[in-house]
Amino acid sequence: MTASTFSKPVNKMAPLGLKNRSGRTRKSGREGYKVNWWLTALMLVASLTVLLPLYFTVAMALKSPDQIGTGTGLAWPNPMNWDNFAAAYVATNFPVAFMSTAFVTVFSVLGSLACSSLVAYAIARNWNRRFFRGSFVYLLSAMFIPFPVIILPLIKQTALLGLDNPGGVVFLHVLGGISFNTLLYIAFVRSIPVELEESARLDGATTWQVFRKIIFPLLAPMNATVGIFAFLGSWNDFLLPQMMIADPALQTLPVVQMLFQGEFNTNYSLAFASYLMAMAPTLVVYILAQRWVLSGVMRGAVK
Amino acid sequence: MSATPLSRRALFKAAGLAGAAAVLPLAGCGSVPSGSGPSSQNGVSTLRFMQNKPEVVAYFNQVIKDFEALNPDIRVIQDFNEGNFVPGLVRNDPPDVVTRGFAQATADYVRKGVFADLSDLPAASTIDPKIQDLVSSWGQYNGHETSALPFSLAAAGVIYRRDIFEAQGVSVPKTWDEFVAACEKFKAAGITPIYGTFKDNWTLGQGMFDYVAGGALDIADFFARLTAKGAAISADAAESFTSNFGPALPKMLELASFSQKGAASKNYADGNAAFAKGQAAMYLQGPWALSQLVAANKNVRLGSFPLPVTNNPADTKVRVNVDMALSITRNTPNMAAARRFVSYLLDPSVVNAYNEKNAAFSPLKEAPAVENPQITGLAASVREGRYYQGATTYFPPSVPLYNYVQAFVYGKNSQQFLSALDDEWRRVAERTAV
Repeated sequence: MTASTFSKPVNKMAPLGLKNRSGRTRKSGREGYKVNWWLTALMLVASLTVLLPLYFTVAMALKSPDQIGTGTGLAWPNPMNWDNFAAAYVATNFPVAFMSTAFVTVFSVLGSLACSSLVAYAIARNWNRRFFRGSFVYLLSAMFIPFPVIILPLIKQTALLGLDNPGGVVFLHVLGGISFNTLLYIAFVRSIPVELEESARLDGATTWQVFRKIIFPLLAPMNATVGIFAFLGSWNDFLLPQMMIADPALQTLPVVQMLFQGEFNTNYSLAFASYLMAMAPTLVVYILAQRWVLSGVMRGAVK
Repeated sequence: MSATPLSRRALFKAAGLAGAAAVLPLAGCGSVPSGSGPSSQNGVSTLRFMQNKPEVVAYFNQVIKDFEALNPDIRVIQDFNEGNFVPGLVRNDPPDVVTRGFAQATADYVRKGVFADLSDLPAASTIDPKIQDLVSSWGQYNGHETSALPFSLAAAGVIYRRDIFEAQGVSVPKTWDEFVAACEKFKAAGITPIYGTFKDNWTLGQGMFDYVAGGALDIADFFARLTAKGAAISADAAESFTSNFGPALPKMLELASFSQKGAASKNYADGNAAFAKGQAAMYLQGPWALSQLVAANKNVRLGSFPLPVTNNPADTKVRVNVDMALSITRNTPNMAAARRFVSYLLDPSVVNAYNEKNAAFSPLKEAPAVENPQITGLAASVREGRYYQGATTYFPPSVPLYNYVQAFVYGKNSQQFLSALDDEWRRVAERTAV
């Protein structure tokens, strides 16, 4: 609809351009029906970068140890060795490690969404005050500190505070994400017209109600972006839980999976079976949230 | 907004809440025993046992079960996450009992007094003093303490395919010339003599470099003299790499020339698969590769022999490393229980069974003869004490030694290789000089 309203005056004003215009529209109209084989071929090749490793993972997870060394690795195992999953499940004590990882992930995501959006709202709406501008720079400057540099002091501090457990990992995930997530949120909060808030305030809403009822729902696309970053970051995180969680019984999946990788020995089939099980939730979340992921990535691209 | 995303959101909300509800009590219970301080409840003390080999976790679970049955007042939790050792020290809550492979890095902890003195443990006197010396050679706290008791000694030599040796009528070589003759014979028969995995440069370092250096000179003595010389080392000094390693290096290149074509693009995992399938007669690897080889081919018949580097059979030595040594952290609140657990692990029935099962050598004075045919060929050398710790293990991690070894094998420039080692050693000595 918008296209036609825009093109009409152009056609009237410049009859010379008419041929040109209509030629273009016809071309683009045809493209909608015709398959672009070049692009499709490119897409197929690109999709291999995801599908091929996934195929290897599945095939490897179903191989017995003596099938691993044979052939190119592309061959589908015959017979399939389903026992790998059971063995990996028992060896990693999967349910406990899974729940621990899920605990860390769920609260990291919720914490990141809540904390970062609140911080961003406060800063964006008080930009005229020096304290808030300064705190924004302060938060951003955290992005310049490489994590490994501060890990040992952090371990000491969390131990003193009794946070050498998955709870501490959640705390640090939320804290570590604040600078980047706030950066994302602030740009987005600024694009929300202040008039929306003013109208709510005229109706007697408090600041909290304005945030809860108006701002936060409007942040939905950015929430998706931040949530996805936080989910992937905490679900796959290795270093922090490895160093931070003192009790081996509460260790998360990525760390527990090290079991299959000795210094000189790697149990590939069990390792891949276990990776596949650990990957499943990520895949499920992706399939359910696919649309948000794509739109979220685009929103995140323009800060 | 349509109805679908809303219901999806509700779904997530429900899933998140359910997950949180299910996990919270779990985290709550779990955090109770993890606090520091003497962990004992109802008279049962809990030990944390950090073990450095993920592949034997299941084995130790059984050992722990047996131990707990005999000692109902002690509970042992096994942890294989070695990366948590330093954080444990930082938060002043390290594991009570630790096993570690012994080399430069572990020696650092010893010298800083992280581990308790175990010399008065009755089990300490049952250990072969020569193997105990391997541990103390890395330095002792206060100059005399016994910070670690060896539990498992890994001996590395040349792994060979018994079937190929028999088919070609080759017997295990006792001298360098015999070894070269055997390689020539395999080559003439169209069999690759040695499978090379040069892409993984550590296999060159712990393999041909350590074997040739260890077979040709007295490694411990060399490094003692080198360390004594300190930062004053130069290439023409009598203690330098250039003066000592030079004559042995051509043998490394000879070994490399017996490898298959394209060895530069093969890594350790490729080597295990190919060697298990019979693509070469010999493989310069330690006992850690044996389980991988058997996993790739159940019927493979393997043996090992120490690589002879001179023509005097009496010179032949085998490369060893203390694969696991038991230590107790100095500040553990459960010292008595930890000592009982270590004593149990060093009980002949436990320690000997572990080593027999895992193709390693027991550190006890009265160890039974090794029966595993994969390593019987190394037993005589180990029993007679003809062994050395690999030259690579003496280097601090800041020296990219394996890269130098790889560059030497590819570029064949021994002069450059040795002067690089001399320079690196001098730089480290200058940095660490007190």
